[in-house]
Amino acid sequence: MLDPGAMAGQEKSPPARGPPRRRFGRLTLDMRQRLSPWKQSGFLAGSLVIGLALSLGVLALAGIAPRTLAEELAGTLNADSLRAVLVQAAPLILVGLGASLAFRIGFWNLGLEGQMIFGGIAATGVSLYAVGPVSMRLIIMGLAAAAGGLLWVLLAISLKIRFRVNEIIATLLLNYVATYFLFHLLYGAWQDSKTAFPQSTPLRPFERLPDIAPGINSGLAIAIAMVVLAGWLVHLSRVGFYMRFLSANPGMAKVLGVPIQAVTIGAVAASGAAAGLSGFINIAGQEGRLTQSFFNGYVFSGVLIAFLSRNDPVIVTIVGFLVAVLYVTGQTLQVFYQIPFTMVQLIQAIIVIAVASSEFFIRHRISWTH
Amino acid sequence: MLEFLVNWAANVPITAIPYALAALGLIISEKSGVLNLTAEGLMLVGALAGIGSYLTLAGHPAVALLVGVMAASVVSVLFATLVVVLRVNQVIAGLSVVFFCQGLTGLIGNVAHWQNKPIAGLGKLTFWPLSEIPVIGRILFVQDAVVYIAILIFLGVHLTFRYSIVGLNLRAVGENPAAADAAGAHVSLYRFGAVVVGSSLVGLAGAYISIVSVKLWVTGMVGGRGWIAVALVVFARWAPWPALAGALLFGCIEEVVPRIAAAGIRVPQYLVLMTPYLATIAVMVWVGARQRGALGEPGALGLPHVREERR
Repeated sequence: MLDPGAMAGQEKSPPARGPPRRRFGRLTLDMRQRLSPWKQSGFLAGSLVIGLALSLGVLALAGIAPRTLAEELAGTLNADSLRAVLVQAAPLILVGLGASLAFRIGFWNLGLEGQMIFGGIAATGVSLYAVGPVSMRLIIMGLAAAAGGLLWVLLAISLKIRFRVNEIIATLLLNYVATYFLFHLLYGAWQDSKTAFPQSTPLRPFERLPDIAPGINSGLAIAIAMVVLAGWLVHLSRVGFYMRFLSANPGMAKVLGVPIQAVTIGAVAASGAAAGLSGFINIAGQEGRLTQSFFNGYVFSGVLIAFLSRNDPVIVTIVGFLVAVLYVTGQTLQVFYQIPFTMVQLIQAIIVIAVASSEFFIRHRISWTH
Repeated sequence: MLEFLVNWAANVPITAIPYALAALGLIISEKSGVLNLTAEGLMLVGALAGIGSYLTLAGHPAVALLVGVMAASVVSVLFATLVVVLRVNQVIAGLSVVFFCQGLTGLIGNVAHWQNKPIAGLGKLTFWPLSEIPVIGRILFVQDAVVYIAILIFLGVHLTFRYSIVGLNLRAVGENPAAADAAGAHVSLYRFGAVVVGSSLVGLAGAYISIVSVKLWVTGMVGGRGWIAVALVVFARWAPWPALAGALLFGCIEEVVPRIAAAGIRVPQYLVLMTPYLATIAVMVWVGARQRGALGEPGALGLPHVREERR
């Protein structure tokens, strides 16, 4: 640990009895005025390497030697696992997008899982009650899912605006409420009577996402379309400018007539809708029915993707693919080595902690003086 | 009916103590200005470490509780380093530590095969002849040792906050770190210490769940109680005694629900399980609706302190 007492600013008031004796010298800490982008990326890369090395260490302790892992990774470098990554990336990109839109205006939307659940429930409901004509069914399901996620997050933001309920607590608790509501349906009215498992009846073929390439469903296309839309919104549109203004200086934004309430609610609603769509993609893509675990672990993945991409929709796509690689590897390790899937969560946490720590070294210069 | 009420009241502490201890731990940390969201994760660490030591060591509940306390303190050093030394955003750091702990405990519990192994755990103390007093005897004088220790801990923290120089400095550091710094309080040291000491209580809360109330380990068994404790801190306006009262309130709510079902009234099982979370949200709404002004949080909550730095 640094000695905070020896941090900057001690020199200004010299003690009366001469300089104190220091046996080891001391650490001095000051703000960097600027750091070249190359060095910044260097620090970032360094922290990523440290994070990955720690993850390898944890894997080794859990019984996966680095060599086994390397062989496993080399073995998965084939068309099948590439397809799995592309399929897995779609919901991850969408939750990352959802998180980044809300984080941009300083709303901690940690209810992404609850919004995914209500997206999934809404989409499945459309299927179960056969809403709309067959040709339009999939589109209605997608819209219903977006609406489901949106309404669930609106509950949290109205609690915040109306009653000042902290959104971190509200959204997290609403995840549990949503989970139990899902269980209520899956162990009750919506249970598949044929299997008696806690799942809904399978979606009909025309209610599944069609493939855009063999083995890759159109979820990826939806995700990319949403990324383009969000990229335009955030980087090019007036709303994006308002969002930046709002997070940089809310007081000034208010004085200059930025519609703060509308922009905030809009961004949060978009965030919930993206998460709802992500649930739809998992239901109508990979799973093919409403299950009790299609949303597991997506909150933190969303936070991680938004954090690592600095809330930029375009970078969200790249990080989303990387996290998808992690998910697919984790699934492989789970199947073949009985490593629980929580390992993926642990590795994600280690990486966030490493990268977050690196920002300190990007912002501060530390020197050792005698 | 009286039997029902006595039975209910006598069981409230088992549910309330984890909330009370975790909320008190968070209050200690947040009074120093560190926004602490780690409770959910550190309770898991305390719970797993407790079970692990119970199963591998001699099976002493006291030792298990102590190991849980120490394990949570050790992990909290990671969080304290992140937020106090490296000045990482306290929300990001807190969430990362929670998910780190969730991943770690899930992994260790699985690899070490500590899942679903019932233990004898900690039994109840009976203060004879006080325990024979009708009605209140069973409620007040037949509880496990941690219940009585928890009350002493609350008293100790209350006295420390109010009457000791350490408590005064801690509050000053949380309200106005620059002024506290000028007055000679070591801001970083106080914050680091507050996080670690507070987290030890969070660890005790976790170990209590696994050793005393549930008596086994299941992955993710804390089930959102850490987040409810975070909400309780807001409800209690960062003061110890209201936190205890809030915890007892939650204990009452949670204990009454299964009893209604057991009494033969048919209620949907999974909707009933939502009650603690809905009750927490309801309480937060009540807090927000009742208070017009500030919610009473420490002035510098969530802000890192850097001496002589413009912000």
